[in-house]
Amino acid sequence: MVQTLPRIISGVCGLDQILGGGFIEGASYILQGQPGAGKTILANQAAFANVKTGGKVLYVTLLAETHDRLFQVLGTLDFFDRSQLGVSISYVSVFQTLRDSGLPAVVELLRKEIARQSATLLVFDGLLNARDQANSVLDVKTFVAEVQSQAAFVGCTVLFLTSTRFADDSPEHTMVDGVVELHEEVPGVRSVRRLQVKKSRGSAALGGLHQFDITSAGLTVFPRLEAVLHHPSIDDGPPSRFLKSGVNGFDNLIGGGLQEASVTLLFGPSGSGKTAFGLNFLNEVTADEQGLYFGFYETPARLRAKATSLGLDIDGHVDAGHIDIVWNPMTENLLDRLGHQLLHAVRIRRVKRLLIDGLGGFERAAVHQPRMNEFFSALINELRALGVTTIATWELHDLFGPTVTAPGSELSSLMDNLVMVRHVEKESRYRKALSILKVRDSAFDPHIRELTFGNNGIEVDVPLEPVLHAATGLAAPVSR
Amino acid sequence: MALIVIAEDELLIAEVLKIMLEDAGHQVEAAAHGVAALELVVQKRPDLVLTDFMMPLMTGLELAQNIRADPALADIPIILMSGAQASIGRAHPEAFNAVLEKPYNEARLLSAIEQAIKAQTT
Repeated sequence: MVQTLPRIISGVCGLDQILGGGFIEGASYILQGQPGAGKTILANQAAFANVKTGGKVLYVTLLAETHDRLFQVLGTLDFFDRSQLGVSISYVSVFQTLRDSGLPAVVELLRKEIARQSATLLVFDGLLNARDQANSVLDVKTFVAEVQSQAAFVGCTVLFLTSTRFADDSPEHTMVDGVVELHEEVPGVRSVRRLQVKKSRGSAALGGLHQFDITSAGLTVFPRLEAVLHHPSIDDGPPSRFLKSGVNGFDNLIGGGLQEASVTLLFGPSGSGKTAFGLNFLNEVTADEQGLYFGFYETPARLRAKATSLGLDIDGHVDAGHIDIVWNPMTENLLDRLGHQLLHAVRIRRVKRLLIDGLGGFERAAVHQPRMNEFFSALINELRALGVTTIATWELHDLFGPTVTAPGSELSSLMDNLVMVRHVEKESRYRKALSILKVRDSAFDPHIRELTFGNNGIEVDVPLEPVLHAATGLAAPVSR
Repeated sequence: MALIVIAEDELLIAEVLKIMLEDAGHQVEAAAHGVAALELVVQKRPDLVLTDFMMPLMTGLELAQNIRADPALADIPIILMSGAQASIGRAHPEAFNAVLEKPYNEARLLSAIEQAIKAQTT
């Protein structure tokens, strides 16, 4: 029988998942990163989370900011509870002891203090200072080993904080059970914070870099979507029904409606009617079949106004609580936060109709572009498994042109259905033309339809007059 | 001109206090934790004890209570300096003659010390 190791919570949203359940009870970890990376906040967040669940914390510093300065800073964070100072959490400095009597005396002092406080978590801030005061590398290795074993003996978990990046094979690294590294980088002009579990003895951790941010709530980690959703979280069942698209004339073209849990990519240039099409789709929501608009362009107010001008009652659905509108402007977003935010919004309402407007918002948020295929793959598979029928829009950059490039490199193959909308220039007028390129596992009507605006939003009742090259937008008459 | 024992685990704070008090003409002995501070008090019989709250091995409250429990030391005035635990300090008037909160005002600290010592000698 496989034993599971008892754990303590990290208090950091997303981190327990990455660690495989939290910090292992009685284990020792190094938390390393440049000054300003977030180590102190993380350690304090873990400390207060454990205090809240009945733990006792001993926070030991060497030489850094004064404790009062630290409390001033922590006072700006939601998790800080001043009433617990000196009660369930104790902040003490041992620098004097280190300076006067060396590392062995510090070990002895820590042993006594852990016992005295019945500490379940020890935070030791300043391993680097210990190194500086040591006479040799062996001294620090001994120090870490001794603190580690004494703490482990009484079931006290240890976090050693250090502001230097030890080499991966340094003695300190080899002694401890885990190493967590915090980075803050500036690729381009924006600052990106990422966390990596470099070592995790005794349990599998989600490797690689995970984005996080720091707010008044402390650290929030967004596990890399394609790692945490390596496989969808639940098994999907066979699709059981078709959903009405809400667009007059469209369902007939694709064999009756959108297959449940399918993902449709609706792509076309700006102004071709993609958002309007999606609003028609959302307009079909009911109390049992709720909807979510996850967009990057229009604000909720503007979207609702747009729907009203199209003749759709999105306002009514939103007020009734059947549609949720989540808007993230395309400024500096974190890719994984977007992914987790979307999935969370889907799960809490059991959303069945989803409009993502548009996938480009995710693309732009990526710091490392090459992961987009894996990211979309994980996201789309999870949406399918959750039974969500999705329309995702994609902006084509060329308004007109002889070539039509498929969005993304692998993106179109991840999709179940591909629907293209183009502007077609004909006789000094622009018409919008909709064509279906792919419907997975079904026949479809290949005739290009004209997309018009009726009393209830978009309609595709009317076939486009026969022209050549409609797909490129540069139509030419069919020669007689 | 008094002998003052300071119990303070944070080196930077202890050094600033030492300089402040020595400049005012007092003699200062410092200990980095409660147990060492108690030993100093037993040894040196100071005129005043200035203590922090959170310290390794023995808190400021425990230090004060230990001093009060020893008849030979019980009359020594004890001042608590604390940012976070001022309220705990005030809840124990039997242990602390005065409670000073951070941020420290040098003039206020020196006058509190003077008052505490004067009250003792009268």
